[in-house]
Amino acid sequence: MALQLTINGISIGAIYALIAVGFAVVFNIMRFSNFAHGGMISACAFISFFFQRAFDPPPPFFVTVLFSAVCGMGIALLIDTLGYRRIRLKNSPKIYYFLMSLTFAILIEQILTVFFGTDIYGFPSVFKSQTFEIGSMIFKTMNIVILAVSVVILVALVWMINKTKIGLAIRAVAINADTSRLMGINSSVIVTVIFIIAGVLAGVSGVFLGVQYGVFPSVGPSMMLKGFIASIIGGLGSLSGAIFAALALGLIEMFLTFFIGATEATVILFGIMLAFLFIRPQGIMGIIVEDKA
Amino acid sequence: MNILDITGLRVWYDKIEAIHCVDLKFEEGKITAIIGSNGAGKTTIINAISGMVKRDGQLFYKGKLLTDKSHKVVREGIIQVPEGRRVFAGLTTEENLLLGAYSLENRKEISGLLQQQYALFPRLEERKKQDAGTLSGGEQQMLAIARGLMAKPQVLMLDEPSLGLAPIITNDVFNKITTIREQGITVILVEQNAKKSLSICDHAYVIENGHVVMEGSGDELLHNEKVAHAYLSTTVDEIE
Ligand SMILES: Nc1ncnc2c1ncn2[C@@H]1O[C@H](COP(=O)(O)OP(=O)(O)OP(=O)(O)O)[C@@H](O)[C@H]1O
Ligand SMILES: [Mg+2]
Repeated sequence: MALQLTINGISIGAIYALIAVGFAVVFNIMRFSNFAHGGMISACAFISFFFQRAFDPPPPFFVTVLFSAVCGMGIALLIDTLGYRRIRLKNSPKIYYFLMSLTFAILIEQILTVFFGTDIYGFPSVFKSQTFEIGSMIFKTMNIVILAVSVVILVALVWMINKTKIGLAIRAVAINADTSRLMGINSSVIVTVIFIIAGVLAGVSGVFLGVQYGVFPSVGPSMMLKGFIASIIGGLGSLSGAIFAALALGLIEMFLTFFIGATEATVILFGIMLAFLFIRPQGIMGIIVEDKA
Repeated sequence: MNILDITGLRVWYDKIEAIHCVDLKFEEGKITAIIGSNGAGKTTIINAISGMVKRDGQLFYKGKLLTDKSHKVVREGIIQVPEGRRVFAGLTTEENLLLGAYSLENRKEISGLLQQQYALFPRLEERKKQDAGTLSGGEQQMLAIARGLMAKPQVLMLDEPSLGLAPIITNDVFNKITTIREQGITVILVEQNAKKSLSICDHAYVIENGHVVMEGSGDELLHNEKVAHAYLSTTVDEIE
């Protein structure tokens, strides 16, 4: 039992990690909390839901994930072009980004509600056998797939940030955008790369959330809060901190839900976040980043 | 030959004009110093060349109009080593150097360039895995200069490289600057330390309140009574 709970918890935590990292990369570079991320996740959940149902037989799951990732990327770039880019060009205060991202988040959720209502659409079953057994233990196939795909994506992302030329440039811009320009780094290229990363992560987490919790307009915003908590606990600014915190959060949530119930578990999670803000506002590994909104 | 030829340069911060119609010429392979008191507009001038601030006027680089996009200016070989060093704290010394080479197309050159900088600044090689934010002030200044050299500059603009350094290290930095000129690199040297910079430069401009108020060879200005009074806080006799 404990092992199954652990696997399930880490699998949920892996989705939170995808969300937390998607949130944190934008924060690190742009210095604002991109709440539109939740809206993007909901949109991608719907997109992948209809994509999966549009074909008979349904496409292989990885095709749906890929399709959703590409759509997430498109939505992120669209939001940047329509909204954030103008703020950037005018050099307006950070609070405008924050307001713009909230506006997009609400707008996307409302558009989805207008078209699809607030009902929960169950994701069609993806695998022939929902579970498999090893010895006496039963695992959900989807949990393992989610865990595996998330690990691959996160490892690839961390590798890219730490080992490649563009990753080094991204870290430099996160530390000091002006000095980075003196290195010949084109900041608009970096911003585009950041939104591509955020969009892909939103797309993938959208499918996973849809599969696990069903598809509804507020699935992204409500789950994004957990990712947000993770990125705060991990230290806004630290990707590995965010990943670590997200996995821990998934685990704690799973055990708390099992032993005391889902509603109480959420209350306790927010309690943990508050405690972190009081005791260690810089998070597990992060440094305090100034001028944020 | 002038590698960089600037006429009618103006820069505004909001509504306030900080640089008023300034003409500057920089001869290829030479050190040109820009001196002046605090707030005179020295940093603003090199930021205007780097495309870091909005500007007006004509900037000709090797006979062609210079772009105003900062990343393209770097690609053209005009590199700024900013005031206050501004190394990337949180990245290692070597990562900082690699960022200096960001604009180079040919990535094969990089290991050779690293070796060159380590030869010029041996201290940096000893500390290549250290967080650049934890280097001493002098080491950070060397890193900032080395990081600039990683871009294979044709024009290297140094903004107050001796700021906050002990006299011995300042001497060292100025020696390195003459070494850099020997490699054929054009140097634009912005300095508070007027005495030292005038003694190593080939030509110098004195900036006051966004105007060029004087220019001449380093020697001329070093022996000019007004300059001595205003910037060297000595009289000419004491220099002799
Ligand atoms: N970002 C800015 N916004 C508004 N005014 C500015 C800005 N940067 C510089 N200034 C103003 O422009 C003028 C020139 O500043 P600049 O930094 O070029 O001086 P400087 O000669 O480099 O001085 P220092 O020797 O102290 O570095 C100053 O009056 C300064 O207050
Ligand atoms: Mg200055």
